[in-house]
Amino acid sequence: MADVRYYDVRSVRGEVTQIDIDNGVVESAGTSFFDKTVIRVLGPRGWGILTRDHVDIDDRRELDGLVAAAARLAAVTKDAISLADAPRGVLAVPPLGEDPRDVDLEEKTRLLAGIEAAARIEGVANTRARYTEGIDAVRFRDSSENEYSFEAVRSGFSVLAIASKNGVMQMGSERDHITTGFNLRDKQGLGRKAGEVAVSLLDAKLPKGGAQRAILDPELAGVFTHEAVGHASEGDLVREGASVLGGKIGEEIGCRGLVIVDDPSLHEFGFIPVDAEGVAVQRTEIIRDGILRSFLHNRETLAAVGDGIPGHARAEHGAPPIVRMSNTFIENGDASYDELLAECRDGILLIGSRGGQVDPGRGIFQFNAEYGYIVRGGETTDMVRDVSLSGEILSTLHNITLIGDDRRMSPGYCGKGGQSVPVSDGAPHLLLEGAVIGGRGE
Amino acid sequence: MIGDDLIARILREGERRADEVEVFYARGTSVSAEIKKGILGTAEESEAWSMAIRTVRDGRIGSSSTGDPDRWKECLEAALASGRLATPQQWGGFPKPAEMAGTASSSDPDIVVAIEDAAGMVDALLAGAAEHPVEVVGGSADLARSYIAVANTNGVAYGMDRTVAAVSLEAIREQSTGYEFDASPFRADIDARSVGEEAAALAARSLGGSEVATGRYDVVLSPVAAASILGQVILPALSGRNVKAGRSFLADKVGEQVFDETLSVYDDPFAPGLGSTAWDAEGTPTRRLVFVEQGVLRRFAYDLKTGYRYGEGSTGSAVRSGGDTPGIGFHNLFIDGPRVKEPGDERAVWIHDVVGAHTANPFSGDFSVEISNPFWIEGGDLVEPIRTAMFAGNAFEMLRAIGGLGNDARHVGRLTIPSIRLNNQQIIGK
Repeated sequence: MADVRYYDVRSVRGEVTQIDIDNGVVESAGTSFFDKTVIRVLGPRGWGILTRDHVDIDDRRELDGLVAAAARLAAVTKDAISLADAPRGVLAVPPLGEDPRDVDLEEKTRLLAGIEAAARIEGVANTRARYTEGIDAVRFRDSSENEYSFEAVRSGFSVLAIASKNGVMQMGSERDHITTGFNLRDKQGLGRKAGEVAVSLLDAKLPKGGAQRAILDPELAGVFTHEAVGHASEGDLVREGASVLGGKIGEEIGCRGLVIVDDPSLHEFGFIPVDAEGVAVQRTEIIRDGILRSFLHNRETLAAVGDGIPGHARAEHGAPPIVRMSNTFIENGDASYDELLAECRDGILLIGSRGGQVDPGRGIFQFNAEYGYIVRGGETTDMVRDVSLSGEILSTLHNITLIGDDRRMSPGYCGKGGQSVPVSDGAPHLLLEGAVIGGRGE
Repeated sequence: MIGDDLIARILREGERRADEVEVFYARGTSVSAEIKKGILGTAEESEAWSMAIRTVRDGRIGSSSTGDPDRWKECLEAALASGRLATPQQWGGFPKPAEMAGTASSSDPDIVVAIEDAAGMVDALLAGAAEHPVEVVGGSADLARSYIAVANTNGVAYGMDRTVAAVSLEAIREQSTGYEFDASPFRADIDARSVGEEAAALAARSLGGSEVATGRYDVVLSPVAAASILGQVILPALSGRNVKAGRSFLADKVGEQVFDETLSVYDDPFAPGLGSTAWDAEGTPTRRLVFVEQGVLRRFAYDLKTGYRYGEGSTGSAVRSGGDTPGIGFHNLFIDGPRVKEPGDERAVWIHDVVGAHTANPFSGDFSVEISNPFWIEGGDLVEPIRTAMFAGNAFEMLRAIGGLGNDARHVGRLTIPSIRLNNQQIIGK
């Protein structure tokens, strides 16, 4: 096959177990099965990619036929792609504390029901909890005779409480996901917290919109890191001209002392033992002391863009690998939480996250806090709700005036190109000057 | 292709161990030609196969799915096991074969799922974008054909073809971006060249915007921006499950004037669209459903499970994708009304799209989002770009009195929606 410069095949066979409990009713509890394979061929110019269910990748003849079909697809492409050499290697998967497969569905359902019930405190009108467990058996092989296989186990849940009073409805939600074992035991506290937040938000105020000083808690600051810097440093966006960070390597884009890292090798929820192209994963410092140092790359974007570290290709099962974040965070500074509050004096403290989104080409991002408190004279006062922040990638990191010393990571899922992958992000508490708050209070 | 034989076998096998069994089966082929840096970068082809099984025994519903035909026995076992844990509920049986209330077509015989055809659509997208001085950063043309079937032990065995043609393009000029898209079951509906041209025009025309001061302004939401905000907040509130669970702002408001008297919201499964179908994902005949009529809330949507549980009956509103269990949704939802006033006659902030709509509070309706491609609009014309701003409000409150609907209704996924003018809204400048 003269027109095949390279191929790889990645199959994920697995099971997904989900339990959904809504107001005490077990709506569903069960396991489903999938078996997806993606075959990529690099033709004379670009990629041809095939997705199939249920392929036996050890069947040489079947595989050859699929590679030939992908090569025919590749023939219509025009973009001249080359692949950089990259280090190989597979990390050990972290040992499982308790294997979720050793716990039967009935016990999982009972434990989840306990978390859901804990959220049902006075004032709460509705509770819902969902458990998600994924067992993926991943196999990879490429035309350069690299081959690996590993198993990924994920277990976690989310719990939602809705409080209601005089036609006003507010929500509190908590989640926790891990890759290191079964994760439903002794978690009623998170259920209770969701209920308490929902009830206390009934009396919260709407914040006033406009620029002000803001303290972000570690969870929200993690989302800020992910949206404000992470996406724009992804090599595919840089290559396509869709990131404001393109061409800015070596420039000071943030405050002194700011270190922003993406590290797929950490045993957090975004952990991968090897990337989806068979490249070794390693800690990547995107920003060091305020200076943009590295983009996140796969082999293709490393060859095209340079200035960065490969090993950041990830894929949902049944989808081709693209450049993604994994565990993204701001390193600790040396300010205590009390120092941040004192320095803030008058402003707003923002807590938790309902997610965010970025337009990396325009350099604009938005993210939303679950709730917050007005800060007056260095003390937290009234609770506020429904508060978003927006900012501009190229200026916002200069507005970090203090970095806390209490970094914490939060698990979640990140969507890009129609694919969702597990990630974590985090930071210590941060103090931001001139944060634009999208509130509608008067 | 494995299909009808296996379905019959699973129904036979399952019926021995449960009161009722249902199989939902989907297979499809799609191709996608993706633009990278202004040229065709990646060509993809996908074949997918999935089978979902539900069993009911003594009101306990079990479910499982598989993408691997060889695991059908394991899948049936998993469905039965799952049923043993489910809370029992009122259940009146899967549907029996019935007369359909109408006919629906969401399949175009002219669609050929071939990468060469998708590549031709990419050429048209790029030719359109070339009319403006921009860089094309991404985009794609997709063609898909699928077959879906639902069968149960009460004798229902329905199958239908679906096709989709979809295009999108993202352009940039300096730090100004533009994104446009379109999708339809029918190839002839898709004008790839004009989608490319419009995305490029947005990027080119949004350059060099001026600042806007924080304050209250009249706002015109384009169909895309309106769909983003309403899709996150209004549609979930019409789901019977959310209503009965205490998660809907609209619960207990049937018969009340909840929106402006010019606004109606209805689902028309027989209209041509991505969701057109004569039966829903559980085999219940679909029908035209009016949720909001001239601002008055009329009803909610139900599937079998929620319908039986609360004595409401299914409204034929079950939807599902691949192996997922069915949920309550909409087939072709319209937000509609008389176009009495042309939005934009008086000066207002026109908003093409929003960033972060998914962070809106779906229960209270409160949102605050960053806006994309905002312009000052005057006399119906976009006169001057605005650099950046946030828009904060409450989706339920803002629809109580609107300033008018535009003559520019378009499909945004399964939603058909015009632009909406809103008076006196909160804009936060930088």
